[in-house]
Amino acid sequence: MATAEKPFIRQDGKDKVTGLGRYTADLDMTGMLQAKFRYSDHAHARITRIDTSKARALPGVFAVITHEDVPDVRYGPFVQDRRLFAKHKVRYEGELVAAVAALTNEIAQRAVELIEVDYEPLEIVSDVEAALQPGAPLLHEEWASYGASEDVVREGNDCSRSTILKGDPDKGMAEADIVVKERYVADMSHAVPIEPHAVVAQWQGDRVTIWSSTQVPFIARSGVATTLELPEAHVRIVVPHLGGGFGGKCEFHYEAQVAALARVAQRPVRLVFSRREEFLAPDHRREGQVLELETGVRRDGSIVARRGRLILDNGAYSADAPFFPQLAAMMAAGPYKIENVFVDASLAYTNTTPSGSVRAPTAPQACWALEQHMDSVAGQLGMDPVEFRRLNIVKNGDEGPTRQVFEDIGAAETLERAVELIGYGKELPDDEAIGVAVGWWPSFGIASGAYVKINGDGSATIITGAQECGTGAVMALPLLAAEILGMEPESFSLLYQDTDAGPFDSGASGSQTTFNNGRAVMAAANDVREQLLDLAAEQLEANRDDLELKDGAVSVKGSPTKSVTIPELAEAAHGSTLLLGRGADAVPEMPASDAAGCTGRLGMESFLAPTFITHAVRCKVDRETGVVRVLEVAAVHESGRVLNPIGANGQVEGGVVMGIGMATLEGSLLGEDARQLNPHLLDYKLQTASDSPPIHIGWVDSPTKPGAGGPKGSKGIGEPPCVPTPGAIANAIAQVTGARVHQLPMTPARVWEAMQR
Amino acid sequence: MSAQSYTAATSVDEALEAMATGARPIAGGTDLVVGARGGKAPLPDALVAIHRVSELRGIREQEGGLVLGALATHADIVASSSACELFTALADASAIVGSHATRTAGTIGGNVMNASPAMETGGPLICFDAVATLRSASGTRRVALTDLFTGPGRTVAEPGELLTELAIPTPKDGTGSCYARLEYRRQMEIAIVGATAVVTLDGGTVRDARIAITALAPTIHRVAEAEQALNGSDASDAAVHAAADAAAGASRPISDVRGSAQYRRAMAAVLTRRAISTAITRARGGRFPIPASPALHGAVNGGAA
Repeated sequence: MATAEKPFIRQDGKDKVTGLGRYTADLDMTGMLQAKFRYSDHAHARITRIDTSKARALPGVFAVITHEDVPDVRYGPFVQDRRLFAKHKVRYEGELVAAVAALTNEIAQRAVELIEVDYEPLEIVSDVEAALQPGAPLLHEEWASYGASEDVVREGNDCSRSTILKGDPDKGMAEADIVVKERYVADMSHAVPIEPHAVVAQWQGDRVTIWSSTQVPFIARSGVATTLELPEAHVRIVVPHLGGGFGGKCEFHYEAQVAALARVAQRPVRLVFSRREEFLAPDHRREGQVLELETGVRRDGSIVARRGRLILDNGAYSADAPFFPQLAAMMAAGPYKIENVFVDASLAYTNTTPSGSVRAPTAPQACWALEQHMDSVAGQLGMDPVEFRRLNIVKNGDEGPTRQVFEDIGAAETLERAVELIGYGKELPDDEAIGVAVGWWPSFGIASGAYVKINGDGSATIITGAQECGTGAVMALPLLAAEILGMEPESFSLLYQDTDAGPFDSGASGSQTTFNNGRAVMAAANDVREQLLDLAAEQLEANRDDLELKDGAVSVKGSPTKSVTIPELAEAAHGSTLLLGRGADAVPEMPASDAAGCTGRLGMESFLAPTFITHAVRCKVDRETGVVRVLEVAAVHESGRVLNPIGANGQVEGGVVMGIGMATLEGSLLGEDARQLNPHLLDYKLQTASDSPPIHIGWVDSPTKPGAGGPKGSKGIGEPPCVPTPGAIANAIAQVTGARVHQLPMTPARVWEAMQR
Repeated sequence: MSAQSYTAATSVDEALEAMATGARPIAGGTDLVVGARGGKAPLPDALVAIHRVSELRGIREQEGGLVLGALATHADIVASSSACELFTALADASAIVGSHATRTAGTIGGNVMNASPAMETGGPLICFDAVATLRSASGTRRVALTDLFTGPGRTVAEPGELLTELAIPTPKDGTGSCYARLEYRRQMEIAIVGATAVVTLDGGTVRDARIAITALAPTIHRVAEAEQALNGSDASDAAVHAAADAAAGASRPISDVRGSAQYRRAMAAVLTRRAISTAITRARGGRFPIPASPALHGAVNGGAA
């Protein structure tokens, strides 16, 4: 077994479990001030006056800033529709109007309350379907003038529309023996990392260092540079330990506002969010969806056509959500053989907290709807739902929704292993049932870089731009380098999460750390390996081709006594040419597809190194109360080649529990005024350790071809584990109760109500 | 959330002295501190810590019943074999308050005086005829729990009065009891609907039934109609159903993020029925695990308990 496949103890583990680890909110500096934000008082209103004079006059206040104190720059990755502070209008309850830096949190809070803002309230749009009706009030009257990627198809409140077209869906539907049409609604939910957002900014001359709880330091850096009009070299982002993210800390959040406060105050400034702010303000909550799905089947169970109409909730501003419609459309088509497909997906602006990537954006909700729909269709056919999936799931050589031809995949194998692991078909008490759902997810190929240097004593350091968000993906990088260099993983130190140190990386997002940075680290290790061999050939006066590098030494094949250790080589190198490796591996090419009939093409028209998943869950439903308990989960994943079983299993366990939370309890409710009614952990109920059921994990080994995936044929693993869990639970509930729950989360009250109908 | 002054009392008299000048008592802090951090209400200007006052600690048996010191924690109650045996519903309730941490830090005195209509221990204490001792610098009085609560977060206690102990008389032989709560998840729950039943059997006949509903009105209260439906009956399913329906009929639930009034009313009947049935099982000498609630939502075979 290769080094990388042995269990190992991650370097940051001890600090985190013993409480020694320092997080952003733990930082303290001489003279440091505390920041507080003034949020919008309305979900939709025109600002007619902002007066900060009373706040400025309060003793202990060092800075009060509004849109007037920062460059007038609009930003956003796909559509530039927002500013650091509201200028003419506010569009959701958590929008920033002003910021204060003061000696204490209490003074800052008092100052925030002293800021006078006058508004002219506007009609609130909180329903995605209403937002797209003709004549609906526009959230962004000037939308057409915004800068945007040219591939984004926009119109009024529809911020991004994508369609997928394959074959002739109308004709296909007409030829079907049975057509089933259903509607599902998913409420918005949240990432809820244990650590709320925190930012500390300190200026030295015209350069600023920002410590931030971000998942994506390089993207945060470019956000600060863009909005404050600074060269990127003047902005350094450092991430202390990160207390989770799940996407909620992707993109650029508040680093610029805190830096602007620190510049005005001429002191370091710290911002730490409360849990309530964590729910209301960050533009990265999981979007609500309305899904209409229609499937036509032949009596033999083969699917002839699928149509779908999806409306996703963008919230008030478009963070990274404009690519969601295309992704959700792929999810609504699903990993099934279907000759005729049309899915039309829109992203509607509403007066709510902006959506953004949260662990596998769009997928758990769309999969929840599709997999319930698949069970409904099977029911209409009188066919076992597993058999129906078995007939239609994609296999090698089959075409996806955009005619991507699948190679080296193990989707069907995940289905077979999952039903076997859960004991599908076994006798159960009458209040229990097993539900099954299949899902898929792409890997994301993005540029990424790393350096590996051999130190004077023969130990090594990896310098990477990759970001650790708790998954252990960065912690596992030494495994990949150690194997190439014939060293132990414990001999490596890591320098990471500092934009002035590592090369660019897109951060802890898109399940991409091992997939991309793993390849970069391997390239850097191979680079330094060549240097070691060159040096050893010189030292041993041997032919380079006769050398082998293992167990910490280079030796001549066949004469083990003729050898030189890495520490000896390192010492020699420190007297002449240093051993420095650099790595930046080419991004794998996207698989070919035929997306000619598709609109709104934003890179999701084919899936790079797609991963396939089947979850089978055994649930107990209390028919009198609607309370659902998940008793057991079988989670089988095809993720190419698994590199680090401890890390991969950890992702599956966490993802399944997150999926159980989404399925049963996690959702935000909105009041008439478009304010969240439960922005706190008392009534936004997460799963506890006691709720976590036994999870049986299986891996289908199906490495990608070289160059088509991650290191050694691996695929991304961070996001996929939460994708099919809610759908599997939904199907179990329907089997026990005979009633489908059409709204997510499937709370006890909703399960109970479904049974009353 | 800053309190302006903080003193730590070592005796009840010291605590009462501080309270006479306006200080609020604090023990586990699971309501006051958590509430202040969450922005519910700022900490009072003056606090007197009572967690070191040893005379307020512990659970002791005295003639005719049990006395819970105000500082007895929920975990202490669950660990007390007399509490589990004689006042099983109170043990059911104490075992499901908040989380492991809440139960270890939170005290019965704090739980009672916080007077939440969703508090777990209120229903059992009321049904068991518990009596609170309120002491102030000027004297001592005893108040039945039934008369203590006047509204959400409000009691008859005057400023300066400290709850020092709760006395609970031993129930008659043949008594079984249960507190059941609707649980959306297995830990960290707050009552959305709760029900207490204390049933005394004499032969096959219900001699005395006490039924209280929790989180279904501004205060926790007993439901006379439900008790009447059960009293004198043979504890049959029909009688249990009638009592449960009467409890639901007497509920005045609200609609909020935790559930609609319609759902809560329906659950009031379900939970009351389960509490009564379990109380009867226990009165008949049958075993039922403490706490009752998790098992009442279905067995946990294969699941983490």
